[in-house]
Amino acid sequence: MLEILSYLIALALVSGFIGAISGLGGGVFIVPALVIFAHMPMKVAVGASLISVVATSAGASVAFVRDGWTNLKVAMVLECATVTGAVVGAYLAGVVPTVVLELLFAAMMLQSAYFTVTKRGDDIVTKGDPLAERLELSGEIPDERGHPVHYEVVNVPPGGALMVVAGLMSGLLGIGSGALKVMAMDYIMHIPLKVSSATSNFMIGVTAGAGALVFLARGDVATTIAAPVAIGVTAGALAGSRVLPHLKVESLRIVFVIILVLVAAEMGWRALSGI
Amino acid sequence: MPKQEEDRILRVWTPILLRSILITAMVLLVAGLVLDYTYAPDYYVDRYNAVMHGQLIGKEKFGLLAERIREGNPHTVLTLGLFVLTLVPLARVAFCFVLFIKERDYVYVGLTAYVLAGLIVGMMVGSAG
Repeated sequence: MLEILSYLIALALVSGFIGAISGLGGGVFIVPALVIFAHMPMKVAVGASLISVVATSAGASVAFVRDGWTNLKVAMVLECATVTGAVVGAYLAGVVPTVVLELLFAAMMLQSAYFTVTKRGDDIVTKGDPLAERLELSGEIPDERGHPVHYEVVNVPPGGALMVVAGLMSGLLGIGSGALKVMAMDYIMHIPLKVSSATSNFMIGVTAGAGALVFLARGDVATTIAAPVAIGVTAGALAGSRVLPHLKVESLRIVFVIILVLVAAEMGWRALSGI
Repeated sequence: MPKQEEDRILRVWTPILLRSILITAMVLLVAGLVLDYTYAPDYYVDRYNAVMHGQLIGKEKFGLLAERIREGNPHTVLTLGLFVLTLVPLARVAFCFVLFIKERDYVYVGLTAYVLAGLIVGMMVGSAG
């Protein structure tokens, strides 16, 4: 038993660590780690990952909420979209063939790699659209000198539509879909990147939680796997967030992209060759 | 209640809520694994092997959890830990819902109610499916 536990916790620890320092979350690494290295069925890996994503989101978002980086109202508005997608996705995960899940997973990893490469600076707007103003979604962030900079939010409906897709992918594949969420907020809704990342992190808990509840209630979560994975990913994410300020993440970006592309290729190959 | 006060309450209490439930869940999970290792290591390995062959054990009824814990089933502590963990988002949204009711911010009462309903529907969909 100790051997199995050590192996699972070690895999989860490394996945959580890489997920934290890459900013992509543990789910996108733990699912392929369990499938490729531990030879686990895809659906078991997805169930275990969803639970661990809830844990890492809760742990990682504490500091961002406390320090004011998370836009709580944006999170609450967009969670309506992600929860809808996640419940549908988690339901479909029970009926969609594994080959489709693996191909979708490969596609999501490529999207994360694309996002990592094309991540850009802030494009702040000073006039929000009427819906955003009605929902009071604007906020403030400090500039380099610590002075507050006001930002407004635009394009709530298209941003919300992409959030439904993010939720769907989360429920189907057991990931937080952080890269998709940040893209929706940053590119479409013009929310500053750091606020988008912090808000995405916060929302991931609810998105993954919705999927996890479907899996758990359906009896599709293997406690023997999910428990050590949740502990390992949480510990890895905690360690990652501690060393993150001391790392030159920019120089590691290319490493993350290579890992994502390689894993996407492996998952795609597994799907197409029927392993 | 002014908006700034509402924001302050959310920023102070949300992290406390998240951290408390997360720590409780982690303690339960670690305790469950220690108990499994101490009292039922073979049972754990059997379940692991079954899962590796695609055989999930099936639904764990909420009502049976307390009974099994009273019986001293170490594996149930693990299940309880996972349930507590999934309560993190539910508790956080419920907290916001109550706060918005108190503030009479009905737009956000509606939005958080929708998210809460989504989480509960998720559980029902899972139970039915």
